[in-house]
Amino acid sequence: MIQTNHQLDAKGLACPMPIVKTKKAIIELEEGQVLEIQATDKGSKADLTAWASSVGHQYLGTVEEGDVLYHYIRKGSNEPEVEKSYEHTVSLDEIESREGLILDVREAAEYAFGHIEGAKSIPMGEIESRLAELDKEKEIYVICRTGKRSDLAAQLLAKNGFTKVYNVLPGMNEWNGKITKEV
Amino acid sequence: MSEKIAIIAANGGMFDAYKVFNIATAAAASEKEVEIFFTFEGLNLIHKQGMHHLEMPAGKEHFAEGFEKANIPTIPQLVETAQELGVKFIACQMTMDVMGLTKEDFIDGIEVGGAVTFLDFAKDAAPTLTF
Repeated sequence: MIQTNHQLDAKGLACPMPIVKTKKAIIELEEGQVLEIQATDKGSKADLTAWASSVGHQYLGTVEEGDVLYHYIRKGSNEPEVEKSYEHTVSLDEIESREGLILDVREAAEYAFGHIEGAKSIPMGEIESRLAELDKEKEIYVICRTGKRSDLAAQLLAKNGFTKVYNVLPGMNEWNGKITKEV
Repeated sequence: MSEKIAIIAANGGMFDAYKVFNIATAAAASEKEVEIFFTFEGLNLIHKQGMHHLEMPAGKEHFAEGFEKANIPTIPQLVETAQELGVKFIACQMTMDVMGLTKEDFIDGIEVGGAVTFLDFAKDAAPTLTF
């Protein structure tokens, strides 16, 4: 099961109710959090994809289990509005040839629907509590969707004594290499 | 892209009601500004009693079972959802005069206006839909 911040049960509802419920439910989320929508309406996949793009959210993907469709939408598609300030960066093209750990700091659902093979997933909000999982002696290449969350994550790691940390730019939205899925 | 959708509801049957309110709620849930102009038979869709007794087209009555089986929301439920989402209902004054109806014959929260009221809203709406 993909880990999300909120779940919405829209099973048994017909169009347009899954959309109406999703609109109401997503209000409760903070920007950047992920909503799981459980639906049995077969049109809901096309509808939610179109809805997310028209309203300005990020549709991540759908998993089908039996009669139930599990849709994942990340609220807002805007990354935090900050100047990137972490100075050690590498470009996306370089990371495949480098030794070290690729650390993917996007939400678990974003990671599940496509990441670089071998990348480790720690969502941005969990990094501080999971520092023990990371090795200070090894190079760490931090990646997200556009390079902004990873910039913040790299700063956070540096502040906690990690010295071999690089922010990967731009990010997964420009990645054309192989994708691994966990759905 | 326009953020406004204008709908003209000119027919008063069950199928017409679903077409109107389904599109209207979906649009409102997509953060569009939606106005529906109810005229002639369309007034039936927001009539206090009429909206509870909408008819299926002749010969299509058997679809009632399909509506139930597919768990389709009722028209009063869709109307409530639409209003909750901010869809604006305008009843056509001219038709009301012809039919001898007053604002009290309709559900709460509607406005009464003439063709120009609607046209003013619709002038920069895209699309404008007629049912």
